Amino acid sequence: MSKESSGTVTDTISTGALRNLRVIDLTRVWAGPLGTRALADFGAEIIKVSDPRIPLSRVGKVNDKLNRNKLNIALRLDKPEGRDVFLDLVSIADVVIENFRPRVMRNLDVTYDRLLEVNPNLLMCSMPGFGLDGPYSEYPAFGSTAEAMAGINSMIGYDPQRPLQTGLSYADPVSGLNLVSTILAFARRRGLTGKGNFIDLALADSPLGTLGEYFVANSSNGYIQKPHGNVHTQYSPHGAFRCKGNDQWIAISITNDVQWSRFKDQVNDPRLSRTCYANVSSRKNDENTINKIIEEWTLNKDATELMELLQVEGIPSGKVSNNLEVLNDVHLNARDYFSYLTPEDGEEEKYDGQAIPGNQKEREEWFPMKNLGEDSSNILLNYLGYSKLKYLSLIENEVIS
Amino acid sequence: MEYFQDNLPLEGIKVLETAQGVSGPYAGKLLASLGAQVVKVELPEGDWSRHIPPFLAESNHKESSALYLYNNTGKKSVVLDWRTAEGLQKLIDLSTSSDVLIEDWDSSERKSLRIDQETFRADNPRLVEISITPFGLSGPYNEYKSTPIIQLALGGVLNLIGNPGQEPLMLPGHQPDYLTGINASNAVQIALWDRDFFGNAGSFLELTMLETLANVHQAPLDMDGGIRQRSGHRQSPLSSNGFPPGVCTVAAKDGYITFGGGSPGIWEQLCLMLGRLDLFEDENFSNVFENPESGPIVDRVMESWMASKTRAEVFEEASSIWMLPVSPVKNINEVLDDQQYAARKAFQTVFHPEAGEASYPSPTFIADGKKMHISRAPLIGEHTKEYV
Repeated sequence: MSKESSGTVTDTISTGALRNLRVIDLTRVWAGPLGTRALADFGAEIIKVSDPRIPLSRVGKVNDKLNRNKLNIALRLDKPEGRDVFLDLVSIADVVIENFRPRVMRNLDVTYDRLLEVNPNLLMCSMPGFGLDGPYSEYPAFGSTAEAMAGINSMIGYDPQRPLQTGLSYADPVSGLNLVSTILAFARRRGLTGKGNFIDLALADSPLGTLGEYFVANSSNGYIQKPHGNVHTQYSPHGAFRCKGNDQWIAISITNDVQWSRFKDQVNDPRLSRTCYANVSSRKNDENTINKIIEEWTLNKDATELMELLQVEGIPSGKVSNNLEVLNDVHLNARDYFSYLTPEDGEEEKYDGQAIPGNQKEREEWFPMKNLGEDSSNILLNYLGYSKLKYLSLIENEVIS
Repeated sequence: MEYFQDNLPLEGIKVLETAQGVSGPYAGKLLASLGAQVVKVELPEGDWSRHIPPFLAESNHKESSALYLYNNTGKKSVVLDWRTAEGLQKLIDLSTSSDVLIEDWDSSERKSLRIDQETFRADNPRLVEISITPFGLSGPYNEYKSTPIIQLALGGVLNLIGNPGQEPLMLPGHQPDYLTGINASNAVQIALWDRDFFGNAGSFLELTMLETLANVHQAPLDMDGGIRQRSGHRQSPLSSNGFPPGVCTVAAKDGYITFGGGSPGIWEQLCLMLGRLDLFEDENFSNVFENPESGPIVDRVMESWMASKTRAEVFEEASSIWMLPVSPVKNINEVLDDQQYAARKAFQTVFHPEAGEASYPSPTFIADGKKMHISRAPLIGEHTKEYV
């Protein structure tokens, strides 16, 4: 937690459970920014350090989405004067988080050991692709390649011989959420013991945690799951069925024979009413036939109306929503899940909210992504107490912007 | 590698868990690995995940479900039937000495159990109670029934996986539950921070799987009014920057390789590796999404270059010489044998008296060069006498 002595700040963040946590955020792209956004939404003061030569891309508003509620300082870490500014920032921080390739931090001479010289209690987290050591440590990785390494793609697809990717760069969001849990645990430890730690949270490691049962089973008895469409090991029927309209589908997942009995009454097709289908194992034997009959029934129905009908009967079902349909989902909107931010130069935009419940920063205090270097002067003059002269010389020497 | 042992972050935090399956139990498991004392309260028939295959033992399935064994490491098990008035009272008694309660009763179960937000917190205002449900306790879907594929469907994830026009595909296993479990650990730790560093009371937290999934899309959901389509083995563009080969999964001699993409620099390096700088200089190949026919051509060039190379050879050459983000598509058994994961002790061997020995993923971070230690899941009711 930030020391009182660093409280010379003018626009102090005042609400949210994490308002006494200050984080220097060097992360780029997705996993890191998603994690630090969660901390920011709970009031942590996130100082995002950008490179003044690289504008924050507004294409697709991906950066806007991931960098709300964060301050921005633009700083050349590769210049000696810039590195000095960075060390001063570290000296007033609780946490530093970065996701460069390992050699970048070494080349900049800002490894954990060096940072401890200016802040002996620092908590630091690195988020490399494959980790800081081991044979692949210097190899580049993205969320999309790390998910392949962790084994998840080997279980996705229509054909057992043809794996497909998630399309989500799945290792990124898993790592981003893991970052929050891990940082909070060690920040708590630091708060109680006064000691920081160094955390190595590799992109390729995170998805292992969400596939645990597959590793446990395989290492014990060789169990392996191949791509098999949406076929489920126990539930039947189980899958997505085409509905009325362009690329409209409903997911149906019948978990027991009571649900099946109610479901076949809804479909009301003599071919499904056969008594032998009352039992899940017999349905599994005829799964393709049953699925085709179901799709004949769903094909001319509206996916949302069908979901409502089936849910009244207690049958697990859900419309397959695309991105716009999620944005307009009646349930998410009724629960006030979304957030609304208005950039200085534009109109109000609707973004995802924060799924983590609790004492979030008050909504009136949420702010959109800051521009490159928007908080540089405030941070240098007020947080670090630099003189106006020093600040101007840093600008003139193109160390900051 | 040694295990991290001194002053575990959550030492002294007492967690009670009635949640079943994956989301709540995974949260409890994470908290246990960070040092919390987690007591799992099970109904007499046991957590439902005890009945889910695959099983590690030929008989005694109740003690050998891989799903249960994995998600309940480091906990104690107490059997208590909270559906009876007497059982519920015992649960309330247990909760009075707890810091955290992880539960997953949905609206209809809360009604039939006559549980509300004060049931556990009235006598223990320091308690952090987290309710984990698919849709939450209010809103139009609050009584909807759900499984992972339903979550993925409504959360906009199912729509992204698979071939255009074909059936959308689910993520394997229980991914929505795991993501929600991580968020539950996040929420509990934030509430404990608020309580212990600001002196505030505990709280009642309502976490939903649907909101968690709506949070894991990389691009804003409005996509400038566009609809993101399934795109088979090639990832959809998040923006108009469709540099080939996009992100794609293509065949090598002994399996598949995923290439990361998305920048002109990576595209140039790829063309250099393939010996086809002419493609980099050809305007028709500058944007795979504006020129969709260029994608399959690049796929064929890559696949013919890889036809005589194993995944390991491609990975080594592309990563170390050309600095391309690339990875073999590994099967689960190959992940267990991978040299990088082995070097980082990504798995640890855990012995269970009924299920035997197996490799469990370690908590997925390394602190000061050390992994957190995990210990086996409990037998059903193994610790009932100690607590009730």
